[in-house]
Amino acid sequence: MSTPARRRLMRDFKRLQEDPPTGVSGAPTDNNIMIWNAVIFGPHDTPFEDGTFKLTIEFTEEYPNKPPTVRFVSHMFHPNVYADGGICLDILQNRWSPTYDVSAILTSIQSLLSDPNPNSPANSMAAQLYKENRREYEKRVKACVEQSFID
Amino acid sequence: MADENDNDRIDDNQKPEKMFTLKKWNAVAMWSWDVECDTCAICRVQVMDACLRCQAESKKDSYGKQDCVVVWGECNHSFHYCCMSLWVKQNNRCPLCQQEWSIQRMGK
Ligand SMILES: [Zn+2]
Ligand SMILES: [Zn+2]
Ligand SMILES: [Zn+2]
Repeated sequence: MSTPARRRLMRDFKRLQEDPPTGVSGAPTDNNIMIWNAVIFGPHDTPFEDGTFKLTIEFTEEYPNKPPTVRFVSHMFHPNVYADGGICLDILQNRWSPTYDVSAILTSIQSLLSDPNPNSPANSMAAQLYKENRREYEKRVKACVEQSFID
Repeated sequence: MADENDNDRIDDNQKPEKMFTLKKWNAVAMWSWDVECDTCAICRVQVMDACLRCQAESKKDSYGKQDCVVVWGECNHSFHYCCMSLWVKQNNRCPLCQQEWSIQRMGK
């Protein structure tokens, strides 16, 4: 069965393979194109550097008119990531555009790691440390980076 | 003056031949659309082909081509009408430039 959403996801996957953005990768799970596994490598010159952070992306049949649900599987310490791995990012909520694809989603999340937005915190502790105690923030992030090797 | 006469004589005797005569000229211009204009950014299929929804729903022989039209907004961005009509129900803005969406023209 090939619905418009599934066909679009096949195109997303093709584009991701032909023109892979640096520092991210993703692929549909073996038996369901509506659920993807992805990895974001921590961007250079950030405390996330060297981390390999795993995510799941769940699409509905309304994709690309509705954004997918993206969640970190790896433990994260980031002002805009909830304790359950959910991500607070405008383009995945109210600023979603049906022109985005998996590449665009993953690269946006990658840039969120470099540039957190502490004004809309999903993790208030991380947001507070990011603003007030950068050294402690980086220490907590580094712990996540090390954890990401084991996961 | 002698010089001028000489020149005249040469001109009379050896009229410079035209290098060639242009009888027919076919202008060939190569052009292509910007990728962004050519491809519907919503379903990622060329706007001149049927959108993914029509491709999924119609039989292989028809491809739904006759119904799947292109729509241009005032911002000059183009999409399949099918793709855009679903999106504007949710947010009446152009998904590429975020301008208020209003249709400039429709067609193929
Ligand atoms: Zn389309
Ligand atoms: Zn269509
Ligand atoms: Zn536009």
